[in-house]
Amino acid sequence: MPGDALSYLTDPGADIPVRMTEEKREILLAYYGLDKPILEQYINYMVGITRGDLGWSIYYSAPVLEVILGRLKWTLLLVGTSTAIHVTLGILIGAASAWAHGRTKDVCLLVSILSISSFPSFFLGILMVIFFGIKLDIFPIGGAQTAFATYQSPFGEIFDILHHLILPAATLVISHIGGTYLLMRNSMLGVLGEDYIMTARAKGLSERYILHRHALTNALLPIVTMTAMTIGFMIMGTIFVETVFAYPGIGNLLYNAVLYHDYPLLQGIFLFMTIAIVGANFLADMIYVRLDPRVDHE
Amino acid sequence: MSVIEISDLKTYFPTKDGIVRAVDRIDLSIHERETIGLIGETGCGKTVLGLTLMRLLHPTTTVEGTIMYGGKNLLKISEAEMRLIRGEAIAMILQNPTTSLNPVMRVGEQIAEAIRLHQGLNRRDAKEKAVEMLDAVRIPLPHKRVGEYPHEFSGGMKQRVMIAMGLACNPSFIIADEPTKGLDVTIKAQIIELLRETTPDKAMLLITHDLDVARELCDRIAIMYAGELVECAPTDEIFEDPLHPYTRGFLGSLPRNGLVPIPGMSPSLINLPDGCRFHPRCADAKETCQKKHPEMIEVECGHFVRCFDA
Amino acid sequence: MTEGRKILGSIGLGILTIFVIVAVLAPHIAPYDPHQMYRPMEHPSSRHLLGTNDIGNDILSEIIYGTRVSLFIAFIVSAISMLVGTSLGLIAGYFDKLGFLIMRVVDIFLTIPRLPLIIIIAASMRPSIWNLIAIFLIFGWTMTARIIRSEVLTLRTRYYIDATKMIGGGDFYILWRHILPNVIPLVVVQFIMEAIHVILAESGLSFLGLGDPVARSWGMVLHYAFECPIIYVSDVWMWWMLPPGLCIVFTVLGLTFVGYALEETLDPRLKNPAYGREL
Repeated sequence: MPGDALSYLTDPGADIPVRMTEEKREILLAYYGLDKPILEQYINYMVGITRGDLGWSIYYSAPVLEVILGRLKWTLLLVGTSTAIHVTLGILIGAASAWAHGRTKDVCLLVSILSISSFPSFFLGILMVIFFGIKLDIFPIGGAQTAFATYQSPFGEIFDILHHLILPAATLVISHIGGTYLLMRNSMLGVLGEDYIMTARAKGLSERYILHRHALTNALLPIVTMTAMTIGFMIMGTIFVETVFAYPGIGNLLYNAVLYHDYPLLQGIFLFMTIAIVGANFLADMIYVRLDPRVDHE
Repeated sequence: MSVIEISDLKTYFPTKDGIVRAVDRIDLSIHERETIGLIGETGCGKTVLGLTLMRLLHPTTTVEGTIMYGGKNLLKISEAEMRLIRGEAIAMILQNPTTSLNPVMRVGEQIAEAIRLHQGLNRRDAKEKAVEMLDAVRIPLPHKRVGEYPHEFSGGMKQRVMIAMGLACNPSFIIADEPTKGLDVTIKAQIIELLRETTPDKAMLLITHDLDVARELCDRIAIMYAGELVECAPTDEIFEDPLHPYTRGFLGSLPRNGLVPIPGMSPSLINLPDGCRFHPRCADAKETCQKKHPEMIEVECGHFVRCFDA
Repeated sequence: MTEGRKILGSIGLGILTIFVIVAVLAPHIAPYDPHQMYRPMEHPSSRHLLGTNDIGNDILSEIIYGTRVSLFIAFIVSAISMLVGTSLGLIAGYFDKLGFLIMRVVDIFLTIPRLPLIIIIAASMRPSIWNLIAIFLIFGWTMTARIIRSEVLTLRTRYYIDATKMIGGGDFYILWRHILPNVIPLVVVQFIMEAIHVILAESGLSFLGLGDPVARSWGMVLHYAFECPIIYVSDVWMWWMLPPGLCIVFTVLGLTFVGYALEETLDPRLKNPAYGREL
């Protein structure tokens, strides 16, 4: 692989180039276990995982697991808030659009959301930084908390964190809202065309009631599965959003790992992300089974 | 005493290919405790008539004429007033129970929600009433089944549930749309029996293409063709003395009468034939039939026909 | 097709056509060679309409040539993915045993989170346009294969397939003459979806620095802009970041609109929720 882990240290463009003789290099390689054949490295890695040992980050000079865990909380905060807002908004707007199908409200919403979804998340983030962070100066342009700040009360700290969270979360939400919106809209339109909606009307139930009790419940079912995928997309989206906002989460970590060719770290992050996404999908399947009475409870 | 008086009812759908005249100037009176059968082929407008009476059509549909019920014209009252009538005073049992029941809502709840709405009962009482209704439609173990979902019921049972929903608030007028479609013979017989038992005190409009069902249940039968009524008479007279060529053809196409099909196809409701709408398929068609449109005339007492030949 | 969709579709098509023309005629439209270096960090002027970047390349020319790169990558990946995906989908849907194997592979590919893996692979390879294409191709075919296979499974049960078999039509004949034509609309929509995905993913990857530094796509232009330390404090972002970003946005927008317009031909439910029932 080009640019193996140690080359960064010796790269003349690096921050602090370390001069190494060939000998020294070999000693270091042996220390990191990088000189053993690939298969053996792989097996060692797998075994290590079971013991909670994900290897050693070469750039950060710390165990990979430790590095990742240190940053995990920020990503969780970001992804968690964003998913919650995204799903709620997507459902509300999607349902409203479907209910007003064909009328101006629907068309405007549709075109707006389709257009917004065309923005790549990093570009949107940059625009946010420029307009809200610099021009209007109402939000900070980076980081999760103000550096070196002291707070009078816990509220002060919470407020500061939220203040830093708004722009990255907004970027994540806006850039991904399209998917859920369209799904909700289509699902709702399908449901509204079903015969049992006509039955409900024939019973004299009000439109509001029908929307909530009959239409929404049926239309929401595909959203549950979609939410798992959404979490997956959000996690992938944080890679860009965190980089643009210098938000100290796992996405940003991935960017650094790529930049510095820190392969153990890269692998560790990849493992984490895979587990998270697979876990989310699994959870969604479980929830779906409980929600849809037509599916057999095995 | 007529419960519902329909005059000059028109239901037109604007489409990009033209105007679909699903219901074209229909006059019909339905009396208390009377069951009228509305017979016709698929696509002649029967279900649309039912939906028009309930005002369940899309707002873009053109509906004209009068539907007098309880001293008011149903086409002129507000939507809120109509909602009070729907489900309680006038109930419709829709076609196709498999798709007409909400798959993720328990059956008891689907019956109870109408009861709660119209009769103001609380949850517990409404549920009790729902159990009673399931019992009335002969569903075994109603206490257990009230909490189940539609997919756990067979086709015939689902149809009973639809009937239960319709009867739940004790309406004075019921519209039953093809209640026996798709059911096999033994179940059909049970449903017919059920309908007979549960509706003696109600007025009913039975929409069907099945003449045998109509014969069992109906006091009068109205035959519909291409959006119009072409014949209307007491049941026995329709079977013993059918006057309209279409009615005769319809009867002739029954299996027991030899399965003789009526030649030709029913007309599109956008491009209707001039003159009598049946003339292209009528063996006795004359010159007048092609040019002039026949009116509905009372030929014998209570027996109306729309034909120049009667 | 309803009016609204037609309008959107036409707008989308129009936008795409403009970009394709720019891509094809790039050498004739661009004022300079994008690799030629002039005075760096120049503000927009009559000589350099969008100024110059940190090593002195004319930004406008960069963006025009970038159109070629971005569009080329997107369309080639989509085209090949469609070919592979459709073929595999057809086979998987029609032949059960082979199909089982293929679908398991697809499942694996679909469960793995695409982006991190792509990033890791891209990071371990030399940044070049062909490597990027290869990487995207690894995943590009999977969704299409699954969708096509589902469709084939439905089509398979139609009577005319059996009828054709009865008159002696062979398997491949059936696939070619009967099933494939029905599947084409799906493929077209998938092509657009995949193209959108690739443009966004490729610009993202390039933005992170993993794109081809020579054949610079819009994402790469943005990458270098982002790395510039004074990008925010001055007005430089206006002509260095905004144009390439907007190019990405409009291309995706064009594709989205076209995709949306075509989608209706597949799902008749979406056409009209009127309560018109069987008469």
